[in-house]
Amino acid sequence: MDSICATYRRKLEDEQISPPLAAILSLTELCATSNAGTMFELVKALNEGADFLKQHSSNPISLNAGCELFIAFVTLFPHDSASFSDLKMELVKQGEAYVRQALTYRRKIGELAVDFIKDDSVILTHSYSRVVMETLLLAHKSKRISVFVTEARPRGLGVKTAEALTAAGIPCTVILDSAVAYAMEKVDFVLVGSEAVVESGGLINAIGSLNIAIIANAANKPFYALAESYKFHRLFPLSQYDLPSHNSRMLSFPSPLQRDRPSPDQSAAQASPFSTTQEEIAKNNPDVDYTRPDLISLVFSELGSLTPFGVAQYLVGMFAG
Amino acid sequence: MSVPTTSNEVTASGLSSQPSQKNMSKAERRELQEKQRAAKLAQKQQPQTADTPNKPKSKPKPAAAQKKSSSGPTETAQSSAPDASRSHPKDATSAPIVDGEATSKSRSLRIFSHFGLPKHGHGAKGDIHPCIVKLALQFSEFRISGANARCIATLTAFKTVIQDYTTPPNNTLSRHLMTHLSPQITHLVSARPMSVTMGNAIRQLKLEISGSDIDMPEQDAKDLLCQKIDDYIRDRIIIADEVIQDFAGKKIKDGDVILTYARSSVVEKVLLSAYRQGKRFSVIVVDSRPLLEGKALLQALTSAPPVSWTLSNDSLLPPPPPIPCTYALLPALPSLITEATTVILGAHSLHSNGAVFSRAGTALVAMMAKQHSVPVLVCCETYKFSEGVMLDGFGKNELAPSHIFQTIPTSPLTPNLEILNPLYDLTPPSCITAVVTEVGLIPPSSISTIPMALGRINL
Repeated sequence: MDSICATYRRKLEDEQISPPLAAILSLTELCATSNAGTMFELVKALNEGADFLKQHSSNPISLNAGCELFIAFVTLFPHDSASFSDLKMELVKQGEAYVRQALTYRRKIGELAVDFIKDDSVILTHSYSRVVMETLLLAHKSKRISVFVTEARPRGLGVKTAEALTAAGIPCTVILDSAVAYAMEKVDFVLVGSEAVVESGGLINAIGSLNIAIIANAANKPFYALAESYKFHRLFPLSQYDLPSHNSRMLSFPSPLQRDRPSPDQSAAQASPFSTTQEEIAKNNPDVDYTRPDLISLVFSELGSLTPFGVAQYLVGMFAG
Repeated sequence: MSVPTTSNEVTASGLSSQPSQKNMSKAERRELQEKQRAAKLAQKQQPQTADTPNKPKSKPKPAAAQKKSSSGPTETAQSSAPDASRSHPKDATSAPIVDGEATSKSRSLRIFSHFGLPKHGHGAKGDIHPCIVKLALQFSEFRISGANARCIATLTAFKTVIQDYTTPPNNTLSRHLMTHLSPQITHLVSARPMSVTMGNAIRQLKLEISGSDIDMPEQDAKDLLCQKIDDYIRDRIIIADEVIQDFAGKKIKDGDVILTYARSSVVEKVLLSAYRQGKRFSVIVVDSRPLLEGKALLQALTSAPPVSWTLSNDSLLPPPPPIPCTYALLPALPSLITEATTVILGAHSLHSNGAVFSRAGTALVAMMAKQHSVPVLVCCETYKFSEGVMLDGFGKNELAPSHIFQTIPTSPLTPNLEILNPLYDLTPPSCITAVVTEVGLIPPSSISTIPMALGRINL
């Protein structure tokens, strides 16, 4: 079982491979090495592998989307091969072919989204996203664009985006997460990537996306999301606290006992009782948030530019049917 | 039970001096109701009371009521109902009064006159099976209410009808059975308008009947049909409910406060199963007159847990406390909605634009929840889906029969008062977060995808 985690991590080292694809590749490998003799056993093994991956991943949502897709594919795969090992080889071949094909999706999405970018636009993006980078670099070839990118604490991936864009010659400024509302006046539209797109048509993305969506909505600026179809996830969060990534430790209040202890008797010379390092703050904070469908203007995927409502219909048709 | 009235269920239109209906026997009340409906339908048409023996009693009613109303509140006569009706004079000039009543009735509630208008299939051709007669009575008396209960009861009764049916000579079951069933359906509809669930089930049954094999022995064909009915009940209602319990239960977490309105059998099952799974949450039951169905839910929830001590790790544990419940009437909703974490509602039917047709008051709860950003879940099996589009609760609705839900005493001071109690209202899709069906949680906007995905559009 540990091998699946190792595979997953190894696959993720490739810059182009995102978590859902890495999950699909890990499961294909599990498929190839497993000694399951029947379909039932194979699906059981795959489910166990997926569960194991989920438990050993800090953020299981997008990974889960990939696992779900592959397992659904395996269950629905017509098995009329001569022997079961043939079938397994066929599944492995199909899985790898899918990943190869999926790697072209970003290009497709970029081509689709570029038409929505006008010359001389100011774009706000959040954190780092491969598909957003692809789109912006593609747009840079034919249009003059300038980009605001949020710093995206706690991981600070916005800096990575800024470096890459500046290197490509795109004017780019890193702004504080708290400066989004300030910058929104100058922004033409918001473009973000996604961890997962859920059944309601909403979006799960790096923390801070919801803030940006609400501000964009209040300022009547379009909010576009980019998502490859393997990120479509059969999940229906009702609120932030309903996300699978939520746990009771998150955003919990420290017990008053701990807080009171150092204050009266100890001298003020000691540092503040609260540890205010970035790491301490980040520890109890969520990594992702859920953006409601009514805040999203369009979702670009390789299937086309969909409204959140269209995404919902696609997902319902795919999984509920 | 006389509770102070709120203005929304009263329309002061029409001139009818509605006779006190409490001092009548059931048969008379029913008859009177029929008569009023007939009068509403066609003013000139004489009420169809000529063939019943009760006629002389019911006709002098208006006169009797007026006479009594001058002497005091009608409540007083309640206990001695049969005597009172017998003691009143039977010599009143019946015909003019009936005519007068007809005109006044037609004037009252005129914009709502289409609500719950029964099809007049009384005395329909063909004989009505006793179990259908019984069922019709139970429907009209609201002994059986609720979309699921009515559908199951109807299908079960049809099973008896089918078993008792014999194909006449020179005919085939697949062609003739439906002509035998349609008067039964008409009879049921005359008792209470058909629910969407019944409509869907009957449509499916018709399909099964017309598709049954001509060459099959009659008894086998009947058994097969009954089997199909059982399957329908099991697959589309019982199993569906279990899956819904599972899906909706996942959205209930420890410490949640679930708000629900009136009583839905599915919501009841969801709450009880989540509780059995060890989730500890509390429930706010919001209710409203005239049906006060929430009381039944409250009863079911508070009497729920198995009162037994459990043994774990060699120590006896006391039974878990029952679900903490709060019961409130609709006017208290604004102050309670802020406490709620999730609103879970039931549905009568679901339309393809995502609108939910449900017990009157549901829309209010959903809108209030949206206003306070509380997620609204609607639990609804896919067999409640209707292919039509509904835009408001006025186009189609049903009135609570006033003789069953006598909510305010007909006071002598308000002779022009007419009571309006619509049974249903329509919740727009924008107020609903998700619909919990047996195929998963669906955003209301995608409802129209479902029948297609399931391949169940029968044109």
